[in-house]
Amino acid sequence: MKYLVMVQGTQADYDGMQGKPTPGSPAWSEAEMQAMFAHMGAINDDLSETGELIDAQGLTEPARTRLVALGADGKAVITDGPYSETKELMAGYWVLECASLERVTEIADRVTRCPLPEGAANRAVVIRPIGDGGGDI
Amino acid sequence: MRDTTGTTGTTGIEDLLRRHAPQVLGALVRRYGHFDTAEDAVQEALLAAARQWPERGVPENPRGWLIRVASRRLTDALRAEEARRAREEKAAALEPREPYTAEPPREDDTLSLLFLCCHPELTPTAQIALTLRAVGGLTTAEIARAYLVPEPTMAQRISRAKAKVRGVRFGRPDNWAERLPAVLHTLYLIFNEGYTATSGPSLTRRELAGEAIRLTRAVHQLLPEAGEVAGLLALMLLTDARRAARTGPHGELVPLDEQDRDRWDRAAIEEGVALVTRALSQGPAGPYQLRAAIAAVHDEAPSARATDWHEILGLYEVLVRLVPGPVERLNRAVAVAMVDGPHAGLAELELLADELGEGHRPDAVRGHLLERAGEFTAARAAYESAAARTLSLPEQRYLRARAARLGP
Repeated sequence: MKYLVMVQGTQADYDGMQGKPTPGSPAWSEAEMQAMFAHMGAINDDLSETGELIDAQGLTEPARTRLVALGADGKAVITDGPYSETKELMAGYWVLECASLERVTEIADRVTRCPLPEGAANRAVVIRPIGDGGGDI
Repeated sequence: MRDTTGTTGTTGIEDLLRRHAPQVLGALVRRYGHFDTAEDAVQEALLAAARQWPERGVPENPRGWLIRVASRRLTDALRAEEARRAREEKAAALEPREPYTAEPPREDDTLSLLFLCCHPELTPTAQIALTLRAVGGLTTAEIARAYLVPEPTMAQRISRAKAKVRGVRFGRPDNWAERLPAVLHTLYLIFNEGYTATSGPSLTRRELAGEAIRLTRAVHQLLPEAGEVAGLLALMLLTDARRAARTGPHGELVPLDEQDRDRWDRAAIEEGVALVTRALSQGPAGPYQLRAAIAAVHDEAPSARATDWHEILGLYEVLVRLVPGPVERLNRAVAVAMVDGPHAGLAELELLADELGEGHRPDAVRGHLLERAGEFTAARAAYESAAARTLSLPEQRYLRARAARLGP
């Protein structure tokens, strides 16, 4: 069974990681950044080892988002960021092949234990089972 | 790459195995052909050795042991294949004609394998994967981890690459000199992947740099007169020599002019300088020799201030004539600034503006030059603009910190 496992973040969280503090989102020190990288890297290494890892990527800040919608006049309506500073959006994801929901939950639990700077929000990790494309017909 | 938490003995055995891997594979391919099946057989033999040797001790003739075990696996595999295909016992034809495990190693096999792995039919990613496995002796799992892709994906990449070069004659190709740049480019890509991974989440990738140096050193020993091979080895050594100083106590990137030069690896610098000096005296310099010569000027300077920028600019002038790429021309603009002042560098940068496109590097360089020129407001804007363009979080942090240093 394939699962999408997502971590969430706000623009303010990204600003903090770039060194710019805002209320509720402290600036990260270099040591804190490295601790986060090490935590996530160890998870990636282990998932690669067990063969469960299909893909893992971190996303850039919400401000770089582009929305494309179909306008009433039949033309594309393009909106480039930004979102409100505090809107939670997907910040990174894993696509995993796991034996059970319990196993993915275990992995998500490990993700939530990522070391964070004092005062930073510990956001929920989202698990979404991926639909089976229809299989062999 | 491998688990280094074990005893020194285990690490010693791993080094030994990797050194022998291309020789064992070469011996098998020369004997039997069937590069793809032989490559699998060698991997199995390496795994068997990694399991058995730490317990039972290293055999007296490790290479012979590996060749014997790998040949047995190979002939088994070929027999099974034969049986399936023809239902006919042809195994007798597969027996080696004479005992060959005692033959002296053919060092040239390493080169033949490199040319095979860097075959022009293969994409760069396939060339890298196949080189690390067939010549470097790494397992598929190790390569997958280093490039952060799932093991089955890497296994597929490798088996597709092997299928593509099936039937290619084994041996140094006739047009080897023409194909050497492709081999060197692959080794350089492996090195860079390892070297630039400093702040990334995956520590294992760093060891790719060491692996690239080991393979390039092997090529240099086989082709000591090839100037560009010596140049590439020198470039890797002179770059890797700064590794310890390149990150701060918390893992942050430290730019060249702020590095603690006492932490540079003197032995690597001496070796690199000797290599490039000798190569440069032997004929017209190629791009790797020139890049190595530039790295040597930096590495030999006792301080950033004492760097001989006239010499560096002269080398860049020659390099941009050979390789007129945007990176080379941008670096030349920096050298111009160091020799003739930041305004001269900024003028050079303007000339390149269209060509350099939208990456963050030109803005970052512009920021540095404006800062040196004392134009702090403009420098800040350039750093901010570069930070907004790069997709790398560590680079964003570095650029925003530079901007913040120049005041609100």
